[in-house]
Amino acid sequence: MIKSHQTNSSPVIEFNKVTKDYGNNKIIGPVNFSIKKGEIVGFLGPNGSGKTTCIRLLLGLIKSTSGSVKVNGFNPVKNHVEALKDLAYSPELPNIQTFFSPRDLLNLVSHELPQFKNKISRNEEINRILELVGLQEYSDIKVGKLSKGMIQRLSVAQALIGSPQTLILDEPMIGLDPAGSAHFRKVFQEYAKESQGTVFMSSHIMSEVESLCTSIVIIHRGKILYQGPVNDVTQKVLNHSFIQMETSPLKPKTIKQLEKIPEIIKIETKHSSESTVYEITLQENDRVIRPLISEVIVKSGAKLYTIKQGEKMLERAYIEALKDKKGEKM
Amino acid sequence: MTRIQVIYTFIKYEIRRAIARKKVLALVAFTILLGTVPYYALSAAGTTLIPTSTYPHIWIVGLFAVGPLFLNFTAILIAAGAMSEEYEQGTAELLLSKPIRRSDYFIGKFLGGFLLFLAILILNISLCVTSAFTFFGIQTNLQIIPGMFLAQSFSSLLFFSLAFMAGELIRRSSLAYIFSSAVFFSSFIISTFMGLIYSLTGKEIYRSIQIILPTSSANSLPIQYALPQLPPDINTILRFVNTTSAVPTIELSIQILLVYTLLTISIAFAYFLNTDISRKLG
Repeated sequence: MIKSHQTNSSPVIEFNKVTKDYGNNKIIGPVNFSIKKGEIVGFLGPNGSGKTTCIRLLLGLIKSTSGSVKVNGFNPVKNHVEALKDLAYSPELPNIQTFFSPRDLLNLVSHELPQFKNKISRNEEINRILELVGLQEYSDIKVGKLSKGMIQRLSVAQALIGSPQTLILDEPMIGLDPAGSAHFRKVFQEYAKESQGTVFMSSHIMSEVESLCTSIVIIHRGKILYQGPVNDVTQKVLNHSFIQMETSPLKPKTIKQLEKIPEIIKIETKHSSESTVYEITLQENDRVIRPLISEVIVKSGAKLYTIKQGEKMLERAYIEALKDKKGEKM
Repeated sequence: MTRIQVIYTFIKYEIRRAIARKKVLALVAFTILLGTVPYYALSAAGTTLIPTSTYPHIWIVGLFAVGPLFLNFTAILIAAGAMSEEYEQGTAELLLSKPIRRSDYFIGKFLGGFLLFLAILILNISLCVTSAFTFFGIQTNLQIIPGMFLAQSFSSLLFFSLAFMAGELIRRSSLAYIFSSAVFFSSFIISTFMGLIYSLTGKEIYRSIQIILPTSSANSLPIQYALPQLPPDINTILRFVNTTSAVPTIELSIQILLVYTLLTISIAFAYFLNTDISRKLG
């Protein structure tokens, strides 16, 4: 029996100086990052940045040129079964045999799971998963007749079956309608909470990542640019935070008063109608300054409707992070 | 789940996949055609020309007429797509991202495809016997059928393995079909020429080349097994189908078939275990 050197604090996924070349063409590397048990990590990067290559490496579908990839303490190529024992992968719009129905595919997948040895427990699990992803009405329809969104749901279903400890999701929300996206976000959150599972999710939808993930890894041109908790990375990239507030139009005097607060870098008026939206750029954490700003506005006699953290922080940080590296070659 | 269960799952999967591709249904239709129409044609046009003493053995004619071309070609058509179509459609990726051994997937797909081929072979033999009985009365020497089945299965294993290897190495089904068919037909043609040159010149080198060509042993084994067990007057009708054995002994045929089969399977297996799983092509 092959033994893993993993302990409780060991990373579930570990990339150590990993490179992947195709001939003289360097695809990624060196890549270093690790993901611990229970983390929900967003894997971000533009098209062709190496996200899918990293996912294929950790699934043991391709071999690294140098460095080591470990999943649950095992090399996923040499010890494929041991490494992927409690891990499941949901590809982006997967290619599934068109003659399969969702039930057929889940049957095939669950056959390999030791906890569903008997047909009854397997069928119960299949029905549970079909209901969870909203495919119960389509369970016996051939994949060739399913819509893009339904196929994406099936991709997630075949990964969720048997509640694995680690989920690898490649663009899980692609092709889904807003209600479907919201439902799946909840499903992943509940999965992480209930089973204390690890989620590694690649996505281009920043709002999804921001609302779901605790940490992020940003990859660009095959190299890791940033990794860490979402707030730390955004703070690190942007060097400042934002506040968005909606008020009645402020007098120039009030704006000048606000500008005198040392932590405020600039105030921008986003748009005007009955109320006005201001975006304030701050040097520090907005939570410390928010009461002070509120006090100045209320004292000026203006009406303060809302005051909150600036929107799309992750998206701004992501764009900013890539802006720095534009034109940079590997 | 044991490894045998995993392999069994992939055997079932491969059979279902191949049937769904509809290619197999076309092959079944051809098998039915080739197992019935020639007997009807023989009975309608040639009963006065065929000695009545050969009637009870006429079932074997269909097997020898169909075997060298149709069965080997069927083996190629089934095997060439077994691995390559999965790469082309991108379906291999999802299956191989599961905690299963690549070797189990490989064995399951190989066995699944070959079992499908065997089903077509059984259909072919059954139809030949049934048609011969229908048009020419009671058939004898049927006890050699299991041996014939084994001999033809083993012979076809060579081109099945070769096409399976081509599918894995090239990873494009159409190219794998073309490559395997090219090897098959080239071997067939070269073998005929080598035999001809040998009979004209008497030089052993041509005979040796003819013997080691893949089609020689693949076509010789069923003949070498069956002919000694049939009455000599069967040759009156067998002379119209190719029943010349290019390989001198049955043992040598088995050895050559084994070498080719093991070599091609080993190459395919080693390549599959040690290379990246390619993404959907095109």
